[in-house]
Amino acid sequence: MVEERRILYEHLDVPDINTFDVFRQYDGYTRFEKAIAEYQPDDIAKMVMDSGLKGRGGAGFSTGLKWSFVPRDIKPCYLCCNADESEPGTFSNRYVLEKNPHLLIEGILICCYAMGIETTYVYIRGEFTLGKRMLDAAIKEAYEKGYLGKDVRGTGLNIDIYTHPGAGAYICGEETGLIESLEGKRGQPRNKPPFPAVEGVFSKPTVVQNVETLCNLPFIVGNGVEWYTKMGPTYADTREDPPKADPNTGTKLYCISGDVNEPGVYELELGLTCTELIEVAGGLRGEEVKAVIPGGSSAPILTHYELDTRLDFTSLTLAKSMLGSGGIIVMNETRNIVDCLLNIMKFYAHESCGQCTPCRWGTPWVRDIVQRIADGEGRQDTITRPKFGVTESGRWGDTGETEEIYEDLDLLESVANNIANVDTMTWNTICVFGIAVSWPAVSYMRKFRPEFEAAIREGKLVTLPVAEATVPPEENYAYQQRFIPKEFADL
Amino acid sequence: MSDERIQIETPFAFNEENQREFDELIGRYPVKEAAMLPTLHLAQRQAGYITPAVMKYVAKLLEVTVMKVKDVVTFYPMFFEEPVGEYVIRVCHTLPCALRDCKVVLDHLKAKLETDIASETNLAKGTTADGKFTLMKVECLASCDVAPVIMINDDLYKNLTPEKVDEILDNLDNL
Repeated sequence: MVEERRILYEHLDVPDINTFDVFRQYDGYTRFEKAIAEYQPDDIAKMVMDSGLKGRGGAGFSTGLKWSFVPRDIKPCYLCCNADESEPGTFSNRYVLEKNPHLLIEGILICCYAMGIETTYVYIRGEFTLGKRMLDAAIKEAYEKGYLGKDVRGTGLNIDIYTHPGAGAYICGEETGLIESLEGKRGQPRNKPPFPAVEGVFSKPTVVQNVETLCNLPFIVGNGVEWYTKMGPTYADTREDPPKADPNTGTKLYCISGDVNEPGVYELELGLTCTELIEVAGGLRGEEVKAVIPGGSSAPILTHYELDTRLDFTSLTLAKSMLGSGGIIVMNETRNIVDCLLNIMKFYAHESCGQCTPCRWGTPWVRDIVQRIADGEGRQDTITRPKFGVTESGRWGDTGETEEIYEDLDLLESVANNIANVDTMTWNTICVFGIAVSWPAVSYMRKFRPEFEAAIREGKLVTLPVAEATVPPEENYAYQQRFIPKEFADL
Repeated sequence: MSDERIQIETPFAFNEENQREFDELIGRYPVKEAAMLPTLHLAQRQAGYITPAVMKYVAKLLEVTVMKVKDVVTFYPMFFEEPVGEYVIRVCHTLPCALRDCKVVLDHLKAKLETDIASETNLAKGTTADGKFTLMKVECLASCDVAPVIMINDDLYKNLTPEKVDEILDNLDNL
């Protein structure tokens, strides 16, 4: 059994940890004081780079690398803390904001010191009224105690933190959507480049970081890089010679929900397997795992054959899925995958910002196709059509054979792949929302195809037994291509 | 329709408390337009919903066109352009809540309040006749571990069952 490794959440349940005095008793702000007393700003940036910290918001991009793109000579530079947690299945930031807001403030202070930033906006989800209230109160206290404002602790640093409420749009969690929204416009993402690190909010260099990423900073500074890198696996990228280290260091706040006995947030070292996580969360509610969504609803689904996949950034990417924001949703044998996909597609059809045509139109189309299948009105007739492929003469053409296809399933895949192609990983949209739509649509359909076919054939939703509903590994496109990375020490 | 529009056009201005809050807000941003979302939240709290008069007022405060304010208001689901009930009930219906039977809660609320579910373009559909409640479905409220959840105005209610919903609504009446 894997043990919980509480670092960010260590003092979460201490009564009144949201007040300055109690937070102070538990080493609060000492890490920031250590940073300004012992290190130069560049040292901190180097520590973060060496720690291998990857952004916890979804993309898993190296935080140190992101910071290195920020031009140091253009001022002012802004920090935007992304607290717009709206990915279905993710709820770890909410607890930090509601219970331990001073930890976030300390993380922000360290980031501001390292990057020479004076103004921070915390973009907080409109629905997080309690979280915003708690954070506002904590910020007020920090101003009173001299940790924010002009000349912080006599160091000459000026640091301000402001909270900025969102208003219920999922797309504002995307970094450029967040920036647009912060500027008082519709939250429609921008083209990249220019990246926010160069030209972000108010056309100035901007560092956008998730709450969880910033909360890691005090511990990296306080306990040192060596302590931090001991947690979680470091893989070797053998495509390069000599093999390049690919760190998945630190802990992750895994949010587990759905069919488990004890849903909640578990802080664990990166790199445990799906099966282990379900065990930590009190075991499965039900008989058998049917499917697991590993990283929020945008992530491609995992079948019960893939439960040995390790839940870290590299392993999941190589398994053709993603860790994303760490929102794990477990489904047992009673769940119907068509129904689950319908729910998720309704979400995306509602949340598409409407900027790019493939997404604005394609997402409702995907929803409508899944709805049609779920209603039992999926195109029932299987069409017999010439099978195209490599012919005897070695050319592409009519092979003379015929194949049976389900028209709606082909249509579903075609529409989804035209929003964003999951095989080539190219998207026809400005932001990655496109891929967040087609990833679940295509992966659910390909991995649980028998259930989709049954729904069309029978004219109603049919929940098949797990073994029958799942495509076997030899036909599973992702399983075929998946690659289990080796830990660096092993090589 | 046109008559209703004229009735809505009662002029709007911040009360003293909100004006103070606004003055503090506006100093946070290098450009005034950036204060749009917090200002609209303030205005909605005071007026109940965003009327054309509110949009005009906000546009004037932030030195942008009214169209720009309308643009923003129509984009974000948390801003209402129609009157809503005293209590706005938001029921989460995204996958983790759906796996924990949010539909039972939703159906129970529908039956108890004798109302339909509001859509974004027709809030009146989900508002009770006495104007006390507005029932709407929302996407993930980021509390999937305690699903199913609902939000009533600013408060989150967790691990719901029809009995718990009854209890919560009864207590609202007592407040």
